[in-house]
Amino acid sequence: MTQPLLEVQDLHTVFSTKEGQVKAVDGVSFELNAGETLGIVGESGCGKSVTAMSIMRLQRPGRIVGGKVMFKGQDLTRISEYEMREIRGREMAMIFQDPMTSLNPVYRVGWQVGEPTRLHNGWDAKKAFSSAVSMLGRVGIPSAASRARDYPHQFSGGMRQRAMIAMGLTTTPHVLIADEPTTALDVTIQAQILDLLRHVNREFGTATILITHNLGVVAGMCQRLIVMYAGKIVEAGPTRDVFAHPKHPYTWSLLRSIPRLDADIHEPLKPIEGLPPNLIDLPGGCSFHPRCAFRVDKCSHDVPALLRVGESQQAACWVTQSGTELKGA
Amino acid sequence: MILAKYLARRFFASVIVVLGVTLITLLLMDRTRGTYVPGIDLNPSLRPEDIARLRANLGLDRPFYIWYLTWIWGVLHGDFGRSMIDGSTVMSHILDRLPNTIELTATAILVGILISIPVGVVSALRRGSKTDHTLTVVSVAGFAVPQFWLGLMLILIFSVTLEQHGLPWLPSSGAYSAYNGGDLLDRLLHLIMPATVLSFFYVSTWSRFIRSSMLEVLSQDYIRTARAKGMSERRVVYLHGLRNALIPLITLIGLELPGLVSGGLVVEVVFGWPGIGKLAFERALQYDYTTVMGVTFFATMLVIAGNLLADLLYGVLDPRIRYG
Amino acid sequence: MIGPSRVAELDMPSAGIETGGSRPAQSYWNESWERLRANRIGVGAGALILVFAAIAIMAPLVSAFITHYQPQTINLDQTFAKPGSVHWLGSDELGRDTLTRLVWGARVSLGVAFLTVAISLTVGTSVGMLAGYYGGWIDDVLMRLVDTVLAIPAIFLFILMSILFRPNPFTLAVIVASVGWGAVARLVRGEVLSVKQRDFVLATRSIGARDTRLMARHLLPNVLPVLIVAASLGVGQIILVEAALDFLGLGIQPPTASWGNMLTNAESYFFRSGWLVALPGVTIFTTVLASNIFGNAVRDAFDPRLKS
Repeated sequence: MTQPLLEVQDLHTVFSTKEGQVKAVDGVSFELNAGETLGIVGESGCGKSVTAMSIMRLQRPGRIVGGKVMFKGQDLTRISEYEMREIRGREMAMIFQDPMTSLNPVYRVGWQVGEPTRLHNGWDAKKAFSSAVSMLGRVGIPSAASRARDYPHQFSGGMRQRAMIAMGLTTTPHVLIADEPTTALDVTIQAQILDLLRHVNREFGTATILITHNLGVVAGMCQRLIVMYAGKIVEAGPTRDVFAHPKHPYTWSLLRSIPRLDADIHEPLKPIEGLPPNLIDLPGGCSFHPRCAFRVDKCSHDVPALLRVGESQQAACWVTQSGTELKGA
Repeated sequence: MILAKYLARRFFASVIVVLGVTLITLLLMDRTRGTYVPGIDLNPSLRPEDIARLRANLGLDRPFYIWYLTWIWGVLHGDFGRSMIDGSTVMSHILDRLPNTIELTATAILVGILISIPVGVVSALRRGSKTDHTLTVVSVAGFAVPQFWLGLMLILIFSVTLEQHGLPWLPSSGAYSAYNGGDLLDRLLHLIMPATVLSFFYVSTWSRFIRSSMLEVLSQDYIRTARAKGMSERRVVYLHGLRNALIPLITLIGLELPGLVSGGLVVEVVFGWPGIGKLAFERALQYDYTTVMGVTFFATMLVIAGNLLADLLYGVLDPRIRYG
Repeated sequence: MIGPSRVAELDMPSAGIETGGSRPAQSYWNESWERLRANRIGVGAGALILVFAAIAIMAPLVSAFITHYQPQTINLDQTFAKPGSVHWLGSDELGRDTLTRLVWGARVSLGVAFLTVAISLTVGTSVGMLAGYYGGWIDDVLMRLVDTVLAIPAIFLFILMSILFRPNPFTLAVIVASVGWGAVARLVRGEVLSVKQRDFVLATRSIGARDTRLMARHLLPNVLPVLIVAASLGVGQIILVEAALDFLGLGIQPPTASWGNMLTNAESYFFRSGWLVALPGVTIFTTVLASNIFGNAVRDAFDPRLKS
């Protein structure tokens, strides 16, 4: 197999708060191959966004306290801020959850979309603007030439997210990180934006990390999937396998809380019991054990490692690692 | 066009306000009118007939509404009438004092902006640092210093004490020296203390304002977007942050436009600065209705113009604003 | 009935870092009060104001038992005394004791400030509430009046009114409040307009409550936080305005001592005694500073939205 494009190894990011240190990302490792789309799923606060921000080194006020982010042979956590700026926007682009607030209200859309090429390719304002116009057209903004002169407030939410994507693509980056790109949008617009991201992935060959709390989004988009809980990866594997046979009780509960077409209509949806964990005061052992329907004694004492379970998946769970299938109530 | 409609509406609203202001001012002045005659204390031997004739000459015997209508009629024709004290036109008084007042307040506002923006930005960028705390303390304290007292203390230190010790000292009164004065250096020396006092107040207000405005902007999502594009922190702060943070400041400065006339009144009195504020103050004490009316009217127009200008500038700087 | 679009709509329970320990439910007032008490500097500043107010109220006692001078007692043998054992903070050009005059001056400054706040709030709240509640032409007339009053540069209005009324502490408060009420009215009107939209107003109306009852029992408690904040932030500014008017000779007239008019004379005696200039100013500064700090603390406690 070829070298992965991006390799995150045992990443630790912490936030210092009055109440204590929050380990927002606690030993996360994964890799991203060229051209693939990887999903990172979890509840808000599970560390998925902080993981993404840490890759871009935009995690302030958090601090990366351990691990490596290998990209093109260099460790992004070690390089200088100046070198990192050359990576951001040029090699890796990022789009965010709320397109309403992610564009600067006082500058024209075209100016903002063209800004990365002015910064990184040294293009003048005119060239950058015309490249912005063509990119806006490619992401599906009608009459892009005139709309590029608009201000963000004149765009609809879906169009702003398209503009954000265009902004990310102007420098043809190798990695696109999309942090909840559709959460703030209407359902029909969500589908369009996901479609666009799929298209971008195919046409530009841009490897995409799609961060979402929505398993439905992942199902249609990602070849591989990572599930995070309380700052740790609890399950990873090909999307199809994970959906068919989840190897971690958390994933299992998530999937059971989603309405399915093929389900017995008399079977009620099952919400996950209990509260999301308090990151300042995590339970001992496996962080999920207080909410887990399958827990055994060991779970409250020892932290399970992320190990291979089954053919293609990895899971951090004492129960499935011992060979038990997740089934039943 | 929407803007034209907006301006028209603003204009009519302003007319009502201006009429109200003149009415209130004149009513207040009218209450003090009584049997008063300007300059009567200079000549106590005047007989009642003389007083009546004097009052008639000045129009003081006419009923209030006639007085008011005459005055408004005059203003509409650009005639603010003549001073009751010295007979020269009110307009000539205003035009005479205006340059001095503008010299003082424009300097103070300019200095205020030049100091408060960097101070506010630095406080915001180093939030919670020693620098930030120090600047906060200074500005909270600056807000509590009585302007006139600060003026007196500066005079005490830089004029009185320095002179007592035979050191070079700053002039404490007027806009220029009466003898051999009036050149640039002389005017600058006179300007230093009053402008310092006035800008001190602006700096303590505006720097706080810019700090909180900047902090709010820096927490916005588009700042994160800018950082993700891989630009220097300097570019993030100044190109993407500052422009947004300064928009609200425009309103504040627009609201200071009337300060061109009235904001400096106390400072002008303390430093004997021959400006419009001092003129209004002195003439009010002498019951010079026409002059006070003229200056008040002038100042009110500046208030209205300042508000309008601030709103329009806001629209230029913030594309989200549309006048509807 | 369950389709793919439902899948996309599904949200996971949202919570995370911000879900700290749970707190017992408290009323708004209790919480605000707790927040205020937790702000030590703010509480200290408030206490200082209280001490000053107590001294002001007990000025005759201070005169009689502590300084042993009356504020207007002239002693031409002891003019321009330096601070010392005879006159703790020195004496002025007529031999009057500075400390005694500062203590009596506190009555004027603080008295006028509190009175002004009271008048501004009463008038402003009434006007703002009427305008906001009834709307229509009542709103138009009242608000144009507010616009007009606020369009006249305040200092001009003060000057004209000071000439009109012979200033004593009460008229001076009226004069300063003649501008202050306008801002309060705008504030209250805005608040009333937003409260009026809420359901409980409609509900109260639908059970046949009268306007006055609705305003007093339902709207007033809702605008109260705004008023408390406005009042505590106003005191310091009013003390400054009052002092400036006194200094200009438009406020409290000599020989009655006020912090502002003590400085009017002092200006003439720079060369003899810098103390006479420094002391009243420091007193004003300290009081205003304490008021502002307390005001900021109150604002932060009662209206977290406005926190800067």
